[in-house]
Amino acid sequence: MTIRTLTDWTGVVGTVMLGATAADGGTRSVSYTLGGESDLPFLGDPPSGHIPLVAFELCDDPAIWPAVVREYAGDLSNDPGKWAKAAEADYGADLVRLSLTSTRRKDFSGYAALKTTIQEVLRKCRLPLIVEGSNDPSIDSEVFAVCGEAGEGERLLLGTAEAGRYRSVAAAAMAYHHAVVAQSPIDINLAKQLNILLHEIGVPSDRIVIDPYTGALGYGFEYSYSVMERIRYSALKGDTDLAMPMISAPTDSLTVKEVRDAAPAARQDIAVKWEYYTALSSAIAGAAIVCVRHPRTVPLLKDTLAALWSGQTPGKV
Amino acid sequence: MPTVTFLPSFRKAVVDREGTLMEAALNAGINLNVVCGGQGKCGKCVMFVKSGVAEFDRDQFGRFFSPEELESGACLACQTRVIDDASVFVPESSHIQEQKILIETLGLETEFHPSVWKYPLVLNPPSLDDPSPDLTRLLWGIEKKGGPREGKIYAPLEVIRSIPRVLRDSGWKITATVALVPGGYRLIDVEKGDTSSRLYGVAVDLGTTTVVVFIRSLVDGRVVGVASNYNKQISCGEDILSRVNYARKGGLAKLQSLAAESINTAITRAANQAGVDREDIHEVVIAGNTIMTHILMGIDPAYMIEEPYVPVVRRYLTAAASRVGLEVKENAGLFIFPAVSDFIGGDIVADVLASGMSESSEVSLLIDIGTNFEVVLGNRDWMFSCAGAAGPALEGGEVLFGMRANPGAIEQITLDLETLTPAYRTINHEKPRGICGSGLIDLLAELLRACVIDRTGRINTVIAHPRIRLGPHFPEFVVAWKEETGIGKDIVITENDIKNLIMSKASILAACITLMNEAGISRNGIDRIYFTGAFGNYLSKENAIIIGLIPEVPLERIRTIGNGAIEGANIALVNRKKRKQLDEIARTMAYIELNATPSFMDEYTRGCFLPHTDLSLFPVVEKMLDECRIHRG
Amino acid sequence: MPLKALDIYKLLPRKNCKECGDPTCLTFAMKLASGKGEVDKCPYLDDNARNILGASTRPPIRKVKIGVGERSFAVGDELVQFRHEKSFYHPPGILVAVSDLWPAERIREVTIRVRDEVLTRVGADLLLNGIVVRNSSGEGPAFRRAVEAVEEVADLPEVLMAADPAVMEQGLSVCGHFRPLIHAAARENYKGMAALAKNYGCPLAVRATAPEELEELVGLCTGEGVDNLVLDTGSSSLHQFLNVSTAVRQQAITRTTPAFGYPVFLDAAEYGLQDGALVTGILRYASVIAVEEVDRASLLALLTLRQNIYTDPQKPIQMTPGIYRVGTPGPDAPVLLTVNFSLTYFTLQGYLESSRIPCFMLIVDTEGLSVLTAVASGKLSEGLVKESIKKFELEKAVAHKTLIIPGYAAPLSGKIEEETGWKVLVGPRDAAEIGEFLGKEWKR
Repeated sequence: MTIRTLTDWTGVVGTVMLGATAADGGTRSVSYTLGGESDLPFLGDPPSGHIPLVAFELCDDPAIWPAVVREYAGDLSNDPGKWAKAAEADYGADLVRLSLTSTRRKDFSGYAALKTTIQEVLRKCRLPLIVEGSNDPSIDSEVFAVCGEAGEGERLLLGTAEAGRYRSVAAAAMAYHHAVVAQSPIDINLAKQLNILLHEIGVPSDRIVIDPYTGALGYGFEYSYSVMERIRYSALKGDTDLAMPMISAPTDSLTVKEVRDAAPAARQDIAVKWEYYTALSSAIAGAAIVCVRHPRTVPLLKDTLAALWSGQTPGKV
Repeated sequence: MPTVTFLPSFRKAVVDREGTLMEAALNAGINLNVVCGGQGKCGKCVMFVKSGVAEFDRDQFGRFFSPEELESGACLACQTRVIDDASVFVPESSHIQEQKILIETLGLETEFHPSVWKYPLVLNPPSLDDPSPDLTRLLWGIEKKGGPREGKIYAPLEVIRSIPRVLRDSGWKITATVALVPGGYRLIDVEKGDTSSRLYGVAVDLGTTTVVVFIRSLVDGRVVGVASNYNKQISCGEDILSRVNYARKGGLAKLQSLAAESINTAITRAANQAGVDREDIHEVVIAGNTIMTHILMGIDPAYMIEEPYVPVVRRYLTAAASRVGLEVKENAGLFIFPAVSDFIGGDIVADVLASGMSESSEVSLLIDIGTNFEVVLGNRDWMFSCAGAAGPALEGGEVLFGMRANPGAIEQITLDLETLTPAYRTINHEKPRGICGSGLIDLLAELLRACVIDRTGRINTVIAHPRIRLGPHFPEFVVAWKEETGIGKDIVITENDIKNLIMSKASILAACITLMNEAGISRNGIDRIYFTGAFGNYLSKENAIIIGLIPEVPLERIRTIGNGAIEGANIALVNRKKRKQLDEIARTMAYIELNATPSFMDEYTRGCFLPHTDLSLFPVVEKMLDECRIHRG
Repeated sequence: MPLKALDIYKLLPRKNCKECGDPTCLTFAMKLASGKGEVDKCPYLDDNARNILGASTRPPIRKVKIGVGERSFAVGDELVQFRHEKSFYHPPGILVAVSDLWPAERIREVTIRVRDEVLTRVGADLLLNGIVVRNSSGEGPAFRRAVEAVEEVADLPEVLMAADPAVMEQGLSVCGHFRPLIHAAARENYKGMAALAKNYGCPLAVRATAPEELEELVGLCTGEGVDNLVLDTGSSSLHQFLNVSTAVRQQAITRTTPAFGYPVFLDAAEYGLQDGALVTGILRYASVIAVEEVDRASLLALLTLRQNIYTDPQKPIQMTPGIYRVGTPGPDAPVLLTVNFSLTYFTLQGYLESSRIPCFMLIVDTEGLSVLTAVASGKLSEGLVKESIKKFELEKAVAHKTLIIPGYAAPLSGKIEEETGWKVLVGPRDAAEIGEFLGKEWKR
């Protein structure tokens, strides 16, 4: 049964390219185009734009990483390169997001190690890479310069620009030809303002991925959900300042009380489901990339996204 | 009772034993800076006891002073009890700072239709042939002179009591004063002889901070005297909320009498200046905010600051002026402007009357800016109003070098877009001491044009320039080097100041847009913008648009109407036809509670950007910014 | 597009007669525009105005009630496609399926679990809503016995799923007076099903796989006198469900296809990806969802998601104001003031927990407004802070008088100090920086 939806859209979500293959001078096995949607997510046969991607998120310093993931991943979590390889080969992720948690340490100065880590990850895993740098303005400029340079030619997605600190990450992205994650705190207007700020210093739309900030399910997720819906809606209504693809990267999904306080036997399952519900909802709201941290979430999500996208249900009994 | 001598002025006042220094100061006519209303909280009413006996609780309030200060007799006037004669030094900082009180008005012409008339009469004495009673004789006389019909005039007992004497003592040559009152006419006075040239009325703007008074001849409408002074209630708290709290603690009677006294002082001053006897003032018309007028009328305002924020009265009020303690002719009428809500008072109704927006088919947006702001949108058919808190930033509060519009305040400023060198003008051309609201708006607009700040107001510290630097807490821009200033310090504006300013301007813009949305009107549908109040009077219209304080409209559509409250009160004083419209204006104005309007917050966030997130609402500014950006590279 | 107050005002008589109870026509128009007023209170409306205003206030999706008693629930009566436009009002009922092939004991076990399993979050009890009885046997008596097994242990709302009206009647003979949803009337059996629905006064699901058929079937069933309908789109895939359900919602709320103005049914077990179907159903307009048994992990997530999505975006979930502890703070621990907007609370609490500095949170009642909003609107004031310190006896909890306030409340810092006598430290604007802030600034 098919019936047409009624809304007349005038806008299209702009596209952003991630990852450079050999043809583009990089070493990735694949590159992705984000965006291009001219309707609401998953609507149409086939839907417009591209199927949402699942990014597996890992880090270079697991000390502040969710315990439930460390427990599951074991030693892998101490080796970003191997972990990234597992994300590609074992978990089936579409891309990898490397969170440079080492930069959160007090008096951080390990710039050289950052470079090594990024290069190692790029060597061991051929998927396009998202790099999440520091969140401290006093080291931003150096960190982003290192990240940008280490990934030169690979068309990374570099994060994170915020209204209070966007100049250094934007500068690194522009210098080394990467795209930028633009994060704002769960507000469509602030998202728009940040995009405008980035434009005004010369970052073009096709290098911006909006991160509207995803709160954990049960902890404000509904705000993020509605902001994502509003952003997509505005883009389709022709607001070019919001017509960029979105990334959903909840940071607290696996540290919520429901997971922390769960009985040990049930904890892994609850973690996976919590993350899965959040990520899938974000994709339905319009996220082009959904980030997850539990390896088991990746295949579950990919199956469901495929079913929502094409109508073919893998594993249907 | 002990006497307190205040230095350096040597003013003296007696006070009850155990009375406070604050009360003594009040008695001596010293306008003390008492922000908290005398609760020992603000630490502003500092005095130094030089000799004599006064008790100050150092344990509780000593924290406001250094040991050295305490050593030299420092105390808080509101917390110091006078036991015996004392002599006390009052530092300059403890006085209310003098500032400009706005008495300028748009000067709208209005027709002259007074509500009080004098009828000079020469009556025939009664005789056996003509035995009609004194009062009837008098009223017939009025009717014959073209006044209201005899049966329509009500004569109060106290006037009737005076009639027989006055008629006979004057040899039947008298002047009768008749006033239009709700439901008819009232004989308010009978005087000997012909006093018909001595008929005056007073228009009053009763503000939270200031009182402005106009005396006008009600024979021909001329303005004969103008005066203003502070609202003496300031000694019971600076803002409206602390006044209400003061009233709640049993202080209503005192606030009431201070309000009356403030008006009396101004009337006396204006009357003296004009050579008018206060006894010849036969009518008083007052526009004030809802809480002020409640207090003046002695109506308890206590419940107005609690949800659901309901005033006791909304309609206009009339009474004999003497009943609230106004020192004018005993039977003089008092007319109090009607209000719309707790937050939209008679002062705003007066603004609306003064602007003329309620009589025009054009759609007008009227904005009154202060720490609180009020906005009215509409025309003769409909009006929406709202009010909110803008915060003190636009008046110079919460801004490091912000100040009120006092001497030494930078009130105008431009930046050289190449060198970033400011050119500024200060009030009274003194060396700069700080920046007042209009200067801050200029500065914000100029910093934006010069690309020193981005559209969120953040300073681009990447720019290498001596005026752009990292301050102790925030990045800052140096407006005046310490050598140029009158305070021996660099005058700077910090990123935090800018944020506070943006938050303030955003709430005003969001209020405007919320009303526009409610009415379904775009910026192009606004035919007029009126600024009322002191703040609006001095600001640069162009820069107000550049920073997005108000919606963008062609500059020629923006007008300032100065002190609209006094203007409106003046109109109502001399033109009864307009006065009759007031209740209808107040009733027509629908009040929108911004807190209950979900889109207000969205609009607020959109407005926390210079000038606004959506530049298509500010096409001229957009063009200007593009040019500036190209210029700066 | 909902009408603006001024548009409505222009339709009103504009005589300010006050007979509606409002002082002016304009205030009445504002009430109508915000959905709070009743058009009929105005005695002087002309027909044209009544038509325009009446149509814009009648619910475009019918409200349908399923079950009786405490656990009964209503669905439908929705007004918008996106929750941010106003709100979603009636969360979908999620009902767990049992099969009439199962032994009665198993049916009772599942029913009891649905009856008793409660998840309490932010002050609300979250529950599954009822039982779906599937007629897998194809036989009437088995169906009846299954329904009996359910009824033996619980008064839960039910969906009876059987294709044959005769079988359906067997089930209804047990619970027909408890308003179960009859599933489903199709082209071939609608007369029988509609008759049952009418007899028992039950809501009826109609199922068709083509939109024209569904539209026609709705007409046929209402023609039979059944008004409480639920639509089963018979979608063959999740993709199709999402597409059809979205279109149905759009056409219903725009009143393009009045036949689609009913709540939508989803059998989440049909697509092999039950969790995925649940998410899709909750987000994309399903009102009655049948599921096979869900494990605890899915249950937690799905009930939470449903609660999140059906929260009124304009009335944020509020925390109860008071003093909250992070870790086990001592009398010297820092006190952080914030508002009772749940998201603010949880965000700050999360960062405080990860900072591992035990502390107190003083949550003041801003009626759910965020810090920025509460400051801008004056809801967060020095008076409120003072009152809260007193009311929650903060002075008994700590041995110091220093309060950390959110960065966005900085403009209030002086006033709070004056009003409360507490020393105020202005914290960061972003809660993420709170750990670092405490590390640097809190030296007691």
